[in-house]
Formats: sequence, structure tokens, C-alpha cells
Amino acid sequence: MTWSLNEVDGLARKAARGSGLSWGLAEDAGKAVRWLASAGLPGPEMLAGLLTRNDGAAYDALCPTEVGSTWSAREGQLCPLISGAAICDRAADIADGRGIALGATSFPMLILPFVAGAARLADQPIEISWAGTSATLTPDGRVEFSEDSTCRAEQTDAVRIQASTMQVTTPHPRSDRAEIPEDIAGTLGKFAHRTYAPDTPESRLAGAGAGLTDND
Amino acid sequence: MHEPNPDRTIALRDPNVVMRLARLGSFHQSRLSFMRVLLRRLKSENWTFEQRKFDIDEHGVGRAVYTAHGPERSYSLVAFANDLPPEKRSDRVIATEWDATFTLFDGIPTEDDVDRLSRNVPKQEAGRVSEKELSLSRANRSVRLWDYVVGQLASGNQPELEKIEAVGYLMRTTAVYGSGKFGAADREQSAHRPECQGPFQIEMLSVFLTRAFVMDLVEHMARLRAPDIAVPLDPALRRRFGIGNSTGLGMAPFLLNHPALISNWIHAREEALSRIRSLPVASEDEAHAFRDIAARADLHSDYWTSEHPVQVEKLKHLRADMDALAAHLETADLISNRPWDRLWHWSETALSLEGQEQLASLLMEPYGDLVDGLSSCMSADETQFYQIDGSMRVSDLKALIEDLYDWALDIDWTSREAQARVWYVSEEKLEPRMGERFDEPIEPYEQPLCPGRDAARMYSDLKNFEEGPIAAFLLRHPEHRHVVRRAQIAASHPYAEIRDNTISSTVMPIDLLRAKLSFFGACHFDPRSDRWVRINMFQHAPFPHELASGNADGWTYPYLPGQSA
Repeated sequence: MTWSLNEVDGLARKAARGSGLSWGLAEDAGKAVRWLASAGLPGPEMLAGLLTRNDGAAYDALCPTEVGSTWSAREGQLCPLISGAAICDRAADIADGRGIALGATSFPMLILPFVAGAARLADQPIEISWAGTSATLTPDGRVEFSEDSTCRAEQTDAVRIQASTMQVTTPHPRSDRAEIPEDIAGTLGKFAHRTYAPDTPESRLAGAGAGLTDND
Repeated sequence: MHEPNPDRTIALRDPNVVMRLARLGSFHQSRLSFMRVLLRRLKSENWTFEQRKFDIDEHGVGRAVYTAHGPERSYSLVAFANDLPPEKRSDRVIATEWDATFTLFDGIPTEDDVDRLSRNVPKQEAGRVSEKELSLSRANRSVRLWDYVVGQLASGNQPELEKIEAVGYLMRTTAVYGSGKFGAADREQSAHRPECQGPFQIEMLSVFLTRAFVMDLVEHMARLRAPDIAVPLDPALRRRFGIGNSTGLGMAPFLLNHPALISNWIHAREEALSRIRSLPVASEDEAHAFRDIAARADLHSDYWTSEHPVQVEKLKHLRADMDALAAHLETADLISNRPWDRLWHWSETALSLEGQEQLASLLMEPYGDLVDGLSSCMSADETQFYQIDGSMRVSDLKALIEDLYDWALDIDWTSREAQARVWYVSEEKLEPRMGERFDEPIEPYEQPLCPGRDAARMYSDLKNFEEGPIAAFLLRHPEHRHVVRRAQIAASHPYAEIRDNTISSTVMPIDLLRAKLSFFGACHFDPRSDRWVRINMFQHAPFPHELASGNADGWTYPYLPGQSA
């Protein structure tokens, strides 16, 4: 069974919201996981790992405490979704030569789509690297990817994002469908489930609008 | 979105006027409606249609395949008919079985495809379709009319027109799921095809073919009951049947969740209105065409019935409006001195919102050459507008909020009435619902469907934030991120944002439904409560086999006595 990318987006958005992220960040998470899945990368797996790891942690503990020379989180590791959104919000700075350095970060692959967004916004190729992985993303959606096993790392000590002058000629293959392993879909589904209000007899009737007969 | 039109001298209507719920809830179908866009294309491109399979037994159980062949591709409606016990029949999303279920297949299905679909499509949300399928839908019989029509035809008689008009259709669809739902293909998979470029063309094609299937089915059931006596429907009478639809809250959030798309729909309609109002003169033929369509719309308002007190009142106003228009047209000069703009100004004080918006649609009718091309501006690549521009200055965002949401900044959001309602998703059916904030334990599950309140909340934080790029504000206040995205989209899309409180104690979700359904091309809005509505689609339209010789565009209003398709 394969998933439509819309389904991946929706599941990831709801799961991120269910984990406690704000609606705006959850929207970004949905689009990010969709981007990864369509690039053939294990976005849903990364998200499931991240949400499980950070379950119950407050935003303040996961966000960059200062966005100076090296970003770091108050308690341990930066959340790649919060930092990713903040990176994309600073696309113009990156294009102007003010690169960004992150300290300890969990599931760094989840930052990739935000860098792709930043490249688009700044109309400038941008590269991201951590451990043995690096990628250059271009304004027109191309990706040059050099990866090893650290691509899927659950954490890394440092991530670097900066403007690039590299020419990227090969478009990254895109897929219309996504595969999500059952256990991963189950984990994300559990987080998503937290966004649903339990039904009551009253809500069953009134919530969707009781009224005149619907069987005539 | 649109190129400036050198001939347009009348400004577009102000979003603060157009984007109010009461006005959106008074919209009518027009030349730009998606079912009319579809039929114009099917006709101009000489699409052909075939019933490839029709295998349904005397209990009404079986399957059928209807294929539409276009210039480059074919699409097939795969239908499964069911013998549904009456106690299981419900239009509500809580239903688990239906009289008929459908999917639109991308191409021509093999026998294996149909077998696979037969195990999934009848289950609807509980089943699974694939990237070969473009939509998923279901329909229930109108109990009022189905048995009567089968009985009449089986006894060799035609049904009475009055009885047909009282309902208007034999089956009601209760959901038409598209783009990527339940495993179906994403819109992106087909959006580049010319026939799918416009919004909801796949869904409209599915409904158009569903109507054909339903009419074939009713005649088939009559034939099986009385093979020697049964007659088919008279073709003119047959076209009086549309296909019904029951729509509930599941559709309402769409308007709030797709601001760029909605803006493009309304922008196209407003552009059309302003082009026509800008015309310095009209020809005799154009004036005649307008008078004709106004008379037909008058008749249409007579056939439109509802039991809902709000709609009963609105219909009373609409009928009075149509009478006032008819009286005005008896002496009005529709030829010289910017006739349509004068008529429009007259309507602003003479007609109710129902009548004004009906007039906006009617004015487009004689001017296909000015209007129809705008339908190509009604889709949106929403990914283009998704990313937030974090370099925007705090002061600029503040000014933007003051411009877009001034109405919301004036509301006292601490009052219970202002935020009486909560939009949430129910655990049981995973569908949007609306509840009472102060009576039900639902607030923790609130969906972000009240931009006005959220913008006002953001504004109070924004006022005290130091000047600089909003990136810093967003990092400090992640709870406002979704509002910033909306505001930035609305900055370049004038009709993106509804300028009303969507959680007040008086909000009527049916206004949201009607706005969307009018763009589909629906008629006869018949609210069944404040949050679900029945409509009729494709009534009076030619059937697929009649399209080549029939009127593909001028069918939406009933023909006057003596006129014919």
C-alpha cells in the first residue's frame, strides 16, 4: 500500500500538532515530511523518532535560546522543526553571507526541506551539512546530495547552513507516492489522535448539525 | 493573478464588502462555475462517452462503468449499486453503507481493477483506493422520488413534472472526495493536464457521469420490473433531474484552509463583474439576452424551495428581488450610458444580498467572451505562497494586520458571544465539527479556523515587540506562525480572507458551504440546519450522449415556456 503525499502531509501535520507544536509549526512539519517523502527520504520515520523523543518537552526547551554564533537549546538538543522554520525565516540573512551554525540537533534530516524553502525564498543555492552528509538545494528545487549513514542520524553535534555557489544540474528524483512502514504510521497516528475530540452523544448529533430528516 | 484589463474602468469590489459571511452565503452559480466550465470543455473538445459495463440485477445490486474519452485521455466512473435497507440510509458522514458508491478511475479500468475497487469503494472511508483513482464518492436514493419514478415507468407512464420538481433528483451524493483522499491520486498528479487544470474538474466530471448512471439505473429497474410495459423517461423530462448533494461541515474548513485558491475564485468573479460594469454600451442582442436570462432566473427562484426558516426568508427576498428586477427592466435603458453599471448601482439599494449576488451572476450571462477566459485564472499553486517571508519588518506586519483585520481588532474577544464556538475534529469520524466552547470540553482540540481572533491575539503581542525582521517575533511566538502565513498570503490575494467572525454565537456555517458550492455550480440551496445543506447539480443539463447536439452552457436556469434546450 502506498500513501498519497496529501495523506503524508496531513498525518505529519496532525502528529506534530498532537505532540504539542503550534499550528503554524505543525503546518511546516507536514510540508517538510511531504517534501522528504516525495524525495524518497524517510521523512515519516524521522518525524516519528523526533516526536517520540521530545514527547512532553516544552517549546522553550527545544528552541534555540539564542540565535547568535551557534544556536543551542536550553536542554540538550535543538528540535529540527523549530530550528528549520527559524532558518527558513532567515533566508535573506543566509543569502547575504550570514550562515547559521547549529549545535547539538536531533534528526537533522528534517531540516533539509526548510533549507530548500530558504533557497527558494532567497533565490540563492544554499548548502547544509552535518557529520558525513551534505546537500545543496537550489531555488528551482534541485538537490545535490552527498550522504552516508549520518544522513539518518538521530542526533548530531553540529549543523552548518550557508549560501553556496555550487551549480546543481541533476534534479533530485521526485516520487508521487510514499511508503510508510506500518509501525511508523502507527506512531504518527497515535500523536495525530491527540488532536481529535472524544465524541459525546450530544456532539454526535449537534456537532455535525442535527436538523431535518436526512432519509427522504 | 489577472492581467490588468485596459477596458476595465470600474474598480473591483472592496474585499470588505464581498468577503462578509452574509454575502458569501448569498452567492449564486455563474458562467465561471466549475460544472459549466467542465461542460463547455467537454463540448468544445468533442468528448465522447460510453457505457462500458452495466451489470445490475433485479435487486439493484451490481456494477457499471461509464467512460469519458477526451482528446488525450479517458476517465471512467466505476459505480457499485447496492440494495440498502432503509434503516441504514443516511446522508450523514456517520453512515457506513449507501445505495451507490463511485470512484473516478484515471483511464479505462481492467476487470482486475474493478474487482479490486469492488472490495474497497463500497466501504468508502473504511476502504482504500490507489493512485489510479482520482475521486471517491457515494449517493443515496431520494426515497420520496425513486420508488415513484420506478413505479410510473414500470407501468408505462411518465412521472409528473410537479413531483419531479418538488425534489429535483433521484439520488443525492453525500461526499465527493478528491485529491489524495483515502489513497487516491494527489491533485498534483493530474493538475498539469488541460482538462484538470481548473479547480474541481475531476469531481465535477465524476458527478456529471454519476447523474447519467442514476438515470440509466432508474430506467433499468423499471424495465426489470415490467419488461413488456416499462417505458424510458421522456428526454425533456429526464433533463429535469439533476443530481442531489448533501454537504456538511466537512467542507466548511476548506474555505479557510485554501486562502490563495479561494481568492482566485472570487477575484475572477469580481473581475468579470467589473469588466461588464465598465462596458460603455450594450447591443440590442446583449440587452435581449440579459432580459431573457433574468426571466429564467425568476422562474428558477420559484422552483427553489426550502423548509429552513433562514432560507425561507431569503427566498422571499429573492423572489421579491426578481420581481423588482423584472419591473425595472420593463423601462430600463440597457443600451447606452454604461447600462450595466447603472443597473448595478440601482441594485445596491433596490435588492437584498440574494438579489444583488444573483444579478452579479446574471450580468455575466450575455458576455461569455469577456468572462469565460477568466476560468483559467481560478486555480492556485499553493506551494508558491506557503513560505513565510521572515524578513518582513514588524512594523510592516503590524500595518498589514491593521489593513486586513481591522474588523477583528474592533471585536471584544473576551465576550462569550464573540468566541462561543469551537471548530474541532471528532475522534469517531475524523470530520470537522462545531461545538460550544463554554458548554463542552472541546477547547483543547480547537482547530485554527478563526483568523480574526487569532490575528487580534497576534496584534497585541506585535504591538509590544521591538522593530526588526519578524523572524525574531516568530521564534518567540510560535503560536502566531499560522496567522503570519495567512496575512502574507492575503497581502497578495485580495479575497483570501473572510472578513467575519467564524466562531461567534451567530455564525452560520452554511454560508461557507454555499459560497463554495456556488462556485461548483450548485443550485437550490436548501439548508437542513445551520450546518448542512442540500443542493441540486446539473439540473436541466444535457446528458453525456446529448452534449454534442445540446446546449452545453445555457442550461442552468429553467427554460421559459416555449423555449427548449
